[in-house]
Amino acid sequence: MELNLFLFWTLSPLAGDLVSLKPPQDHENHDDTPDLPAALCVNAASSPGLQVWFRSWMQGGRPTVEVVRLGLVSYQEALRLQQVYVNRHRSDPAHALLLCQHPPVYTTGIRHKPYPAPLLDRLRLLGADVHRTNRGGLITFHGPGQLVCYPILHLGSFKKSVRWYVSELEKTIISVCSRFGIDASTSPHTGVWVGDNKICAVGIHCGRYVTSHGLALNCNTDMSWFGHIVPCGIMGKGVTSLSAELQRDVCVEETVPQLLDAFRDRFHCLLTDGQTDKTERDGGGSSA
Amino acid sequence: MAMRVAIRCLSANFSPRLPALSSAATRLLWRSDSPRTLSTTSLLSTALKFTDKHEWVRVEGGIGTVGISNYAQEALGDVVYCGLPEVGQRLELLEEFGALESVKAASELYSPLAGEVTEINTELAENPALVNKACYEEGWLIKMTIEKPEELEGLMDQAAYDSFIMSLED
Repeated sequence: MELNLFLFWTLSPLAGDLVSLKPPQDHENHDDTPDLPAALCVNAASSPGLQVWFRSWMQGGRPTVEVVRLGLVSYQEALRLQQVYVNRHRSDPAHALLLCQHPPVYTTGIRHKPYPAPLLDRLRLLGADVHRTNRGGLITFHGPGQLVCYPILHLGSFKKSVRWYVSELEKTIISVCSRFGIDASTSPHTGVWVGDNKICAVGIHCGRYVTSHGLALNCNTDMSWFGHIVPCGIMGKGVTSLSAELQRDVCVEETVPQLLDAFRDRFHCLLTDGQTDKTERDGGGSSA
Repeated sequence: MAMRVAIRCLSANFSPRLPALSSAATRLLWRSDSPRTLSTTSLLSTALKFTDKHEWVRVEGGIGTVGISNYAQEALGDVVYCGLPEVGQRLELLEEFGALESVKAASELYSPLAGEVTEINTELAENPALVNKACYEEGWLIKMTIEKPEELEGLMDQAAYDSFIMSLED
């Protein structure tokens, strides 16, 4: 059996998906992951698609996601870094989860018409940065005290459905909220809500199954910034934060471990710690 | 019913693929207002061809109509906005030509062929949900010229596309 696998991999073209070879079923403990001859490992390293499949097979079918903690970065810089990780999927398919906070910034999505230049200029006068983006969703605010998370995933390792992906992001946040004792839910409006108030905004972009942009969870954000916009274009609803709901200060640092746990559980993946400096890449291996 | 029999007789003579035409595609063949002779070329030219990114193209009189497949519209969710190119814009094969927004997600669209955009579906500005409700008919996205007809050969026919999506769901 192992010799046949070796021949298959050396003789077959370096194609993307090996649909005829299925990885073992996903299971909790990895002790029974089989050992493979070294020759197989060498051949698997020769193509990106094969690398992803091989890595995933060795881990009992779980994709690895590299956690990258960016700290406080400008929106522009985060866009640049997201693009680096998006582009990386072409040559070395590797999922990443970027975590950061932004200085005050308002952002809009692909629907431009509701936000003409004069409106955006007025927002700039408040002291915030303003950006148009290629994500879905309408206008929102990012600022200190808000945990911003950009998963740069290739949905081929998960499920090739944008609708599914957004739903899983929402469920991840609902799980984070419940770990804090907050009862959050979804609604016909994408995002995560506590009653009529949105606690987490979601807006993503997907190209060739690679995701970018993501979610923004209010921890102890200054909510007054939201007063200058109709958040996400939804009239008659408010915004809230973990701190507002719990009536105590809940900072981003306290929230990150809960988010990582919930993300790992929901997406059935392994998390590793990455470097923030793109010139130095960590080999990874320890889970966050 | 008699019409379907007529197609089957023709297909037996010309192409083994024609019986695989979906019912939606079959209805489209008979919707045209102008009288149409049942020649091989016109029947084959109106069959849907698919990309592996789930766009379809249907060729009529040298113009390709482009849309997204049923599989794609289900995976997207309810479309709330269609970002489409300008008329006159030139597209390369697999070039991004726009995006569809659903559930706060903007998903890119990729051109199935090289050519120039001749028309965009202006109905979608008021009624983007047409993409979900009638993805092969009123929910079409753009029409374009076909610079390289040989590119059609590289696309999947209905049967190949159906197998392709079955392999995705495994």
